[in-house]
Amino acid sequence: MEKYLRTPIKEIIGKHPQVGALLEEYRIGCVPCSVGTCLLADIVEIHNLSPEDEGALMTRIAGIVSPGQVVALPEPRNRRPEATRKFSYSPPMKALVEEHRQIKRFLDVLPAVINRVDARSEADRDLVRDSLDFIRSYADRFHHAKEEDILFACFDPGLDILKAMREDHERGRAHVRAAGEALARCDGEGIAWNLHGYAEVLREHIKKEDEILYPWMDRNLSMRQVGELFARFRAVDERFAENRKKYESFVGRLEDAYSETISEVR
Amino acid sequence: MMMFPKDDGAEVPGGKVPSQLRQWPIQLHLVSPEAPYFQGADVVLAADCVPFAMGDFHNAYLKGKALAIACPKLDGDQEIYLEKIRGLIEDAKINSLTVTIMQVPCCRGLLGLAMQAMKASSRKVPVKSVVVSLQGEVLQEEWAAV
Repeated sequence: MEKYLRTPIKEIIGKHPQVGALLEEYRIGCVPCSVGTCLLADIVEIHNLSPEDEGALMTRIAGIVSPGQVVALPEPRNRRPEATRKFSYSPPMKALVEEHRQIKRFLDVLPAVINRVDARSEADRDLVRDSLDFIRSYADRFHHAKEEDILFACFDPGLDILKAMREDHERGRAHVRAAGEALARCDGEGIAWNLHGYAEVLREHIKKEDEILYPWMDRNLSMRQVGELFARFRAVDERFAENRKKYESFVGRLEDAYSETISEVR
Repeated sequence: MMMFPKDDGAEVPGGKVPSQLRQWPIQLHLVSPEAPYFQGADVVLAADCVPFAMGDFHNAYLKGKALAIACPKLDGDQEIYLEKIRGLIEDAKINSLTVTIMQVPCCRGLLGLAMQAMKASSRKVPVKSVVVSLQGEVLQEEWAAV
């Protein structure tokens, strides 16, 4: 089993697709991940399963990868008792989750915006420009930069989970660049395809961060690191305060303008 | 009154366990927010009983941190405490605050004081509360809303 614990999860899923289905059952969604170089041991650690669930999962994986053989299972790691594992985000993580909430509000209204855009109309092109500005300024330069420049720097840059998150950021940026180019060509289809693609990447990315990455980071950050992150995030927030208001009110205006069609086109 | 049955021979680590205390004094009335060991520090504000209840308090919570202790039930002049904690947050510019309290209801007062001090301060820092059982187990560890 030790050999499998040090094997990249995608390699295991490639050889034994049932492992992918099993991980889905435990809400460990490795199958859609595009990077997939995390080791099986890391996956178990990152998802913080209870010792009982971890034991059961390992037994079932062993049954799939080495059927009919007696396999020595690793001891579940010592963790704090259930009562102390009650989860709450640390204040800096909570700030990032709140920014995600704003980005998700934008992603919720985006399909309705895309649905109505006429690439020949100057007013509609302005709306796409403003939407791209929200993505580039609020979601990327403000929020993703906090993650990449400050938060991720607290961890080993070679960690696969961080590589996966950076890759998501890059995929999002590629869609935004392509949407900008489509806008310049007045190509409505190109705008729509890339903005939908961006929304899809970001939705899945935010879910991974809120549910897996941030809780794992919180479990591994020291009080010193949490205090320092908090102070550095607040310094960024202060510099961005005016813009933040502007972008959050932009999302509010979109919601007001498209309130009737949001649920229809999602 | 409660007595806890203990096996004197069980789980005693070999050798001397070093203290993680880095300063003196520690009582909240006696400490000064201007003291160098508080500047930019990660601070533990511990209810008096916690380090006695918890066998590994030094390694689990005190290591690398500055300390202040107080009893929210018995100590007088708690307005001075409020001002001291505010001074730690605002003037000593501490990096974080960990408030360790016992599970008994009166101990919540210490966390309440810390949060009141935070409210009165223009500067904010992350605050973690740790609730310890009468026998020294950590019952709850959570972030307080800043």
